[in-house]
Amino acid sequence: MTWSKGPEHFIGEWRGGLGCYIYPTSRFKTVTMYAAWIRPLSLQDRAYGAVLPQVLKRGTSQWPSRRLMETRLEELYGASFRADVGKLGDKQLMAFHLNVVNGQFLPKKPDTVTAALDFLTDVLDRPRLVDGLFDAAVVEQEKAQVKRQIAALINDKGQYALARLLELVADGAPFGLRKWGTPEEVDAVDAQSLTEFRHRVRQEAPFLFLMVGDVDPDQAARLIQERFGGQRGTLTTVVPYQGQHQGKTVIESESVSQGKLALAYRTGLTAKDADYPALMMYSGILGGFAHSKLFMNVREKASLAYYAYSRLDPAVALMIVGAGIEFSHYEAARQIIEEQVEAMRQGQFTDEEMAFTLKGYVNDILSEEDSPGQLIARQVERQLVGGGLSGQALIDALSRVRREDIERVAQGVHLDTVYFLTNKGEPGHGT
Amino acid sequence: MEHKTVVWEQLGERPVRQRLETGLEVVVLPKPGLKKTYATYATHYGSIDSHFRPPGAQAPVHVPDGIAHFLEHKMYEKPEGRDVFERFAELGAYTNAYTEYTTTTFLFSATSEVEECLKTLLTLVEEPYFTPENVEKEKGIIEQEIRMYWDMPGDRLRSNLMHALYHANPVRLDIAGTVDSIRTITPDDLYLCYETFYHPSNMVIFVAGDVDPAHIIDLIHAWEARRGLAAKAPIERIFPEEPPTVAQKRVEQVMPVALPLWLMGFKDTDTGLTGDALLRRELVMSLFWQMVLGPSSSLFHDLYEAGLINERFSSHYASSKTYGLSMLGGETPDPERLEAEVTPRLLTEPLRLPDLERIKKKELGEFVGLFENLEDLAYAFNAYYFRGVDLARVPELLDDITLEDLEEARQRHCREPQRAVSIVRPPRS
Repeated sequence: MTWSKGPEHFIGEWRGGLGCYIYPTSRFKTVTMYAAWIRPLSLQDRAYGAVLPQVLKRGTSQWPSRRLMETRLEELYGASFRADVGKLGDKQLMAFHLNVVNGQFLPKKPDTVTAALDFLTDVLDRPRLVDGLFDAAVVEQEKAQVKRQIAALINDKGQYALARLLELVADGAPFGLRKWGTPEEVDAVDAQSLTEFRHRVRQEAPFLFLMVGDVDPDQAARLIQERFGGQRGTLTTVVPYQGQHQGKTVIESESVSQGKLALAYRTGLTAKDADYPALMMYSGILGGFAHSKLFMNVREKASLAYYAYSRLDPAVALMIVGAGIEFSHYEAARQIIEEQVEAMRQGQFTDEEMAFTLKGYVNDILSEEDSPGQLIARQVERQLVGGGLSGQALIDALSRVRREDIERVAQGVHLDTVYFLTNKGEPGHGT
Repeated sequence: MEHKTVVWEQLGERPVRQRLETGLEVVVLPKPGLKKTYATYATHYGSIDSHFRPPGAQAPVHVPDGIAHFLEHKMYEKPEGRDVFERFAELGAYTNAYTEYTTTTFLFSATSEVEECLKTLLTLVEEPYFTPENVEKEKGIIEQEIRMYWDMPGDRLRSNLMHALYHANPVRLDIAGTVDSIRTITPDDLYLCYETFYHPSNMVIFVAGDVDPAHIIDLIHAWEARRGLAAKAPIERIFPEEPPTVAQKRVEQVMPVALPLWLMGFKDTDTGLTGDALLRRELVMSLFWQMVLGPSSSLFHDLYEAGLINERFSSHYASSKTYGLSMLGGETPDPERLEAEVTPRLLTEPLRLPDLERIKKKELGEFVGLFENLEDLAYAFNAYYFRGVDLARVPELLDDITLEDLEEARQRHCREPQRAVSIVRPPRS
């Protein structure tokens, strides 16, 4: 299937719990598919959601082992396939990514796209079962892998600090939960309960299917509808953060060489709010780019950090500020960061900072359109937030943001929680 | 000016290239329909080039380790009012730079005002401005960067393996240098390295995007003509003699990791290849590792079933004129057992024709896919360019490789004296 004059945006709709969106374009040499079951993140069954994608990678009815699946992917000119558990706000996503070279660029022009879709359908709908259940040995192996993933979070100190910060902000609310669950929760999974979980998910969970590449959108949508149509639950959107910490500060220590400072600010705005573009401008001026206040002041002027940034969580209504600093610089770095936020609140930013930030966003938004993976990530985010602008519409909205708009949203940004990861033996205080 | 267009029919690509009088090579790949233009300005100069004889000089010089990376940082420093970061921001473009063992690359990515961005990139790379004050200030920033790497277990793992594999080749050292070595860097050191290695004859510009190649090349040509630089004698790079054996069989470090990390390396003893010969070896080694230890191999299968590896376990080969090495590894609960299972089988796993044919398809698919990601493409192009390799040769060379080539390569490569292991372990609880 080919399509050479695409409309260059996602076309599709939700029907019976299946959201099917196709982005036809001839810009890419590959076709990218994304499929996900979307569920509420909960303590009760998040571990099942973490183990299931792993087990589905271990065999289908047609390719009944991990090794045969890999062989098939190699045969499809090195198609890349990933199945993993993701998280966006209070949602858990069991996601499947497949990227294959479009046959028109290969000798003898094979139909790699249909073959790849067949492979993905096999994974989602026809897993290898033994007497109607997942293979118990496979389930045990994959549980062990998931438990290792859980333990491995500490390997990346920056990510670890952000996960701890979010837990502290959430205070038990679902959006603070880690997507993998705990080792004990994983232990409770077995072949019987996981098979039942899969049946429930397949029948009930809203299912999103996205495709980007040189494909005929009608034909692709029909194929997807035929294979995955049904009656599932309706997608609900992410619930934003409602709490009220007043600068709660937690300092923990590990054996690290560089301190990780992370601050969470409430913003009261998610991507679907009319004021969100103004908040994007706010965060961009503060810490979104190399010309931003945080980078210029914390790194360049004070040499306190190797990196310092701010970024928005479009679903949960939080802004996160992060910096990698020397242990003894904790107070100085925190003070400079808080001063920059205060400067924003008082409207202390220049027209030039606004102009640079707008241009930076325009570049980011347009560049995103050259990357199938980024187009897909943004579309998933829009579905889960329940709206929000993208592409040219977002560029237009950002260009209309005035100084007063940024000053207005600045009044709604409040420090919620601070987390500092320092070295063992370092008090986290100093000059 | 006449420019040479190459047509890659199967891929639907038409790169245009031109070598200017100063020796600067310019390559433009038109990508109609893409929103982004991605440009790199790279020099054949990296962390290992710390001992050299500048053209025209009598005596060779030694410069502090980490200076290539320091210089990359410092190129962004300009006199008051001429800030290139600010200029790129004003143009709405993204800029970055990175330093590796043998190259330093400056880049921008932009969706408008490509001409202005290009001029800013040229300014960035062509106008050094080092003062005692701005050099001193940078030391704090780079020290933080070095410390950040110390906390990255994967980075330590690789760094320790390079120390173990090599006795003398500076590839054994960290690219950023050490906290002590960078403290000794002076503006004079930086100017010396700049004058030596940032000469156009040692550099290449690569531009990909929805652009008119002739226009881009003419613009760069006119700009470069104004600099009035003459072609220059080649740089004499001095590398120590590297013994065929490894420096250390084994190196271990304790860090706060959940599971041990294990990485094994083999170094080449016969180096010095360039062009087709080098590309061919890279392809042979890549096919070999995928066949013997790729996700569809029986060795990978056995290790995975035994719970010794996870799906991210990987192996690859990398080479340059002065070194070549393979690395394989990942997270494992039992490094000793993993090593005992893997090592002997590397030499005995059967190499079969159907597997080779299939892995070649994979390699070809990945080559085609490269042309959709401009960052990866530019990276591959530059890396190959300085090794005298033409990227377009991949499909043809791939086609010719036989099982005998793979068998010969493994007998030469996977030998005990050339093998070292690096392990990062969690603390005992």
